[in-house]
Amino acid sequence: MAEVLEIKEHHTAHQLPTPDNGEGGEKSPMNISYGKTMMWYFLLSDAFTFSAFLIAYACLRLGHKWWPNPNDVFNAMPFMGHHKIPMGFVSIMTFILIMSSVFVVRAVQEGHRMNKNGVMYWMFWGILGGAAFLGCQAWEWQHLLAEGMRPFYNVFYEGKDGLTTLWNIHEQGKPMFSPGPVAFGALFFGITGFHGFHVFTGVCLNIWGFFATANGTFEKRGHYEMIEKLGLYWHFVDLVWVFVFLAFYLM
Amino acid sequence: MSDHQLTEEEYKAQVAGVWKVTVILSIVTVVEVAAALILGPHLPKWIMNPFYAIASIAKAFFIIGEFMHLKYEKRVFMLSLGLPLFFLLWAIIAFGVEGNYLHKLLYLIK
Repeated sequence: MAEVLEIKEHHTAHQLPTPDNGEGGEKSPMNISYGKTMMWYFLLSDAFTFSAFLIAYACLRLGHKWWPNPNDVFNAMPFMGHHKIPMGFVSIMTFILIMSSVFVVRAVQEGHRMNKNGVMYWMFWGILGGAAFLGCQAWEWQHLLAEGMRPFYNVFYEGKDGLTTLWNIHEQGKPMFSPGPVAFGALFFGITGFHGFHVFTGVCLNIWGFFATANGTFEKRGHYEMIEKLGLYWHFVDLVWVFVFLAFYLM
Repeated sequence: MSDHQLTEEEYKAQVAGVWKVTVILSIVTVVEVAAALILGPHLPKWIMNPFYAIASIAKAFFIIGEFMHLKYEKRVFMLSLGLPLFFLLWAIIAFGVEGNYLHKLLYLIK
């Protein structure tokens, strides 16, 4: 008897009360609400999509003789002119996304305490972090496009003084066979773009969550589970970036 | 995750836990980048890449466990998310082997 009571007490997390009709349906075996479960399974399917992209990337990269060195391709920094700072800017982007994720965790924690102002405060910083990340990515894309990087044509090759681009040859109007992996740009823009799209949707959803909190929608509901679901999505975006960072910049 | 009101101590412990994980994630990232810059040019890829991969997977575990709160969910729920990921193991091995083969083939042609 004591055991049964203990289980009943334990299993109440943010669940809609279901009538005890004797069929056993009132117990959720996983002790997690329907909405959060479905968010998790959506994220699992999304993880497969990203994994497929990254595994395709790895397969192509392994198959090639030569691949542009990420330390040479991704070495530009805003406001630093022509100084070459390998990994610098992308490290800042990584840090921004981690911090944004942390801010949203704090919002979720304040939600557990029904602290409306706390949720709004931390959601605000989380949204700002996401927007900053998108701005950084826009700058990086713009820089790489200006260097001549294109989806279906590789401009990077190993010159006498290290990595250089075919940009000059373009200007002279002499077509040249792309020396490296043709898909380099397609993979980079495709995968970071798909991740950026997730960041963008995450920021939009978080902005909605911020205003819904301000409206008192969740306070009226009696729980901030929606913020938890938004948080799950947002942390997933951070999680994917860990692997995009690994595949494109570190390896 | 329960709907009982958190005590002040529990809340403070949770907040401290999150900041601890933040510091761990930042340190691992800094170590990764430092290794890529300092050791990367001198050591072969087959040493560096597994190191990056392991560090990244460690980061992933911290994000999933602490930020996404999976550490505190039921084991059966963790398994329902974790076991399907074993399909990826197949994909990584199959496509990795094929990529390596293509690499060797290119050298054979020339």
